[in-house]
Amino acid sequence: MPERINITNLSKRYGATVALSGVDMGILPGEVHAILGENGAGKSTLVKILSGVVSSSAGTISLDEKCIRPSSIIEARRCGIATAFQELSLIPNMTVAENILLPRASSGRFWPESKASIFERAREVLIEWEVNDISSQSIVADLTLAQRQRIELVRALSHARCLLILDEPTAALPDTSWLFRQLHHLTSRGVSVLYISHRLNEVREICQRATVLRNGASMGTVDLAGVDDEDIFTMMVGHGSSKKKRVSQESSTNGEVLLETYQLRSKMLKGINLQLHAGEILGVAGLEGQGQQELFRLFGGLHKPTSGEIRVGDKVTSLSSPRKALQVKPGIAFVPEERKTEGIFASLSAAANISIPHFAMTGWAKLVNGRIERHLAAEAADQVGLAPRYLGFEVGHLSGGNQQKVLLARALMTGAKILVLFDPTRGVDVGTKQSIYSMMRHFVDQGGAIIFYSSELSELVQLSSRCLVVYDGLITDDVAANEISEERLLASAHGPGNARKDSLQEAV
Amino acid sequence: MTIKRIADSGLMIMVIYILIFAMYGAVQPSALSAYSIQGLFNNSLPLMLAAAGATFVILQGGFDLSVAGTISLVNAIVAVLQFDGALGAIGMLAIALAAGILVGAINGFVVAYLKVQAIAATLATMIICQGVALLILRAPGGYVSDFMTYELTGSMFGIPVAIIIATLVALLWFVFRRTNAGRNLLAVGQDAKAAELSGINVARTQFFSFIWAGALYALAAYFLAALTSTGSPSAGEPFLLLTFAAVALGGTAFGGGRGSVTASLLGAATLVLMQKLLFSVGVSSFYTGMIQGMIMVLAVLFSGAVQFVVDRRNII
Repeated sequence: MPERINITNLSKRYGATVALSGVDMGILPGEVHAILGENGAGKSTLVKILSGVVSSSAGTISLDEKCIRPSSIIEARRCGIATAFQELSLIPNMTVAENILLPRASSGRFWPESKASIFERAREVLIEWEVNDISSQSIVADLTLAQRQRIELVRALSHARCLLILDEPTAALPDTSWLFRQLHHLTSRGVSVLYISHRLNEVREICQRATVLRNGASMGTVDLAGVDDEDIFTMMVGHGSSKKKRVSQESSTNGEVLLETYQLRSKMLKGINLQLHAGEILGVAGLEGQGQQELFRLFGGLHKPTSGEIRVGDKVTSLSSPRKALQVKPGIAFVPEERKTEGIFASLSAAANISIPHFAMTGWAKLVNGRIERHLAAEAADQVGLAPRYLGFEVGHLSGGNQQKVLLARALMTGAKILVLFDPTRGVDVGTKQSIYSMMRHFVDQGGAIIFYSSELSELVQLSSRCLVVYDGLITDDVAANEISEERLLASAHGPGNARKDSLQEAV
Repeated sequence: MTIKRIADSGLMIMVIYILIFAMYGAVQPSALSAYSIQGLFNNSLPLMLAAAGATFVILQGGFDLSVAGTISLVNAIVAVLQFDGALGAIGMLAIALAAGILVGAINGFVVAYLKVQAIAATLATMIICQGVALLILRAPGGYVSDFMTYELTGSMFGIPVAIIIATLVALLWFVFRRTNAGRNLLAVGQDAKAAELSGINVARTQFFSFIWAGALYALAAYFLAALTSTGSPSAGEPFLLLTFAAVALGGTAFGGGRGSVTASLLGAATLVLMQKLLFSVGVSSFYTGMIQGMIMVLAVLFSGAVQFVVDRRNII
């Protein structure tokens, strides 16, 4: 079968920086084709070129044997290419309907279309793609992250006639079945899918072939059925990476209690009792929207609970602001899930981003220059594995994984002993994940404590000394390291009854 | 969320306007006569049109300082051209609009395509227009036809022409808001990057916002000439800060993405009405500016408070 889309020697330079230095690949009709590669390998540049956001410096793209060069999103759509971006591209204060139908929300020729008609058209699109729980009249800003991700996906699904490009589509989705069903609908019609993800088990489930990128060039296209993870890692990083083993940890729940809550209640939480000990990595598992986000933001000082107690160190405190959370001994540093909008200062350098807490806490009339910032940031950057050459770069230009490292380095810089991390490896590649994991282990070995939420069960299994499961605003399970498994976490995440059922079965 | 919907719809400014009008009527009963109302709206219309124009640019997240320069320029042009009668008035309107649109096009090109920062670009345009106005009309004077002076400031079918014009602009916004161009304008103001990734031509949206602004400034200058029956090369100067005060009073956020032209029309009308109210109460005109400023601060604080409440809800 001839390949429908052919990419030959595609390159992109930004002045002296080479983002892509010659990508060759082909996509068959109706195929789900994965793009694999580390941070900085060029995946997002490839996506941007195909989507029409930037133009290539050299090379050709041919679709159905015609050469195309999309110079805008609209033009790409006319070629039949639609993209769901990793950093969601929805307009927050507009309705779901308007977002789905943008940029031509009103279809009337001489007179604007009525609101009811627009909502109805959008509703039809939502129903076509099996989204039944989101009303087309809802405002996007009122939706959860997972719901917004689905809207972003639906928009791309509805416009993809020839090629659908998905950049980390499952990062915020609790389970993949909905998405994979829609992809099957598309591919059965002959539409191809370009699937970019770091989650190899997902990639193996849905994709047939994969092209590996490294340092801006394509290393080759492989048939996923015929290679194992080790081979893929070798292609991605140029050397074999050590197998992810569960590091056996001595029981680290003996340390003093650094953070404790008693009957914590808020809008979504119904009475949370937990304890965080020094030296432990406390994992939190749960399906989307069970209250874990609110719990973490309470710890970060962004919300006030409606009732209940929070003890930090051994004092009852009210965490009225992030600043207060940092100041209360031994200090809580919060890293939120959306680094683009709540974390990085995009136009400042990485060093500035990292060293800001230092200046925030020590005086207000000091002169600062880049050299001082880099000097201060160097140690924290080293601990997270951020290459020193990135310290002078504008953070907005770094890849998602490096941006995440910057935010973690900043948290380390605050000197806080408690780290509250919400999905710290979202949208981050394999190599960066390993750096983040080792930073977390090192941190608790020094006597700190980490409470972190992850939507990736394997990560929770790998890292946690102990794992809590949240369901419907309550903690339904507290799993010790020796009992932890993905099945157990998944079962508990679906409701309190399931965990007991699971252990009953084990007993039998 | 109803609070947000109320704040965004311009209902607040409508209520404020009615309250102040009631106070005005109570203090000066003769203000409620048809003649007074006509005069009130005649005086309000130039600022209303200027605020409406500026709103188009502010809604997409930009800023347009050239309002003062454009008004001076078009005012000077209208005063220098000596056309009479109805046909002459229409001809001059066309020329005025063309001039305003030309200035808007220059602004739009420099900001949207050359990517010069809006404040710097429109400040430069303002100064240039101010200079060209002086070249065209050296001192206050010139000629404005009787037709314009009497017909435009009078009434048609019992309704002041000024109110008709203001209503037409409000209707224009009502329709525009629901077209794709209108939605895209607001989308760009909310999140230009997301708008671009959604397929909106951001540069073109920004460009046309300046064109709308220029056209409305020209209309303001045209009416101003009819109102004062003369032209002046510095006619636009008082408009610079009052225009933005009117927009802020109407509730349109300066960051873009929220607000409406109708609200700005009402904000401008409120500012002028406040002036009249203070005058009739006997407050020395020296205090007017101060009191207008205080009311504007209160309006902006209120708008900020509403946004704060809405955002807290959305923080989760």
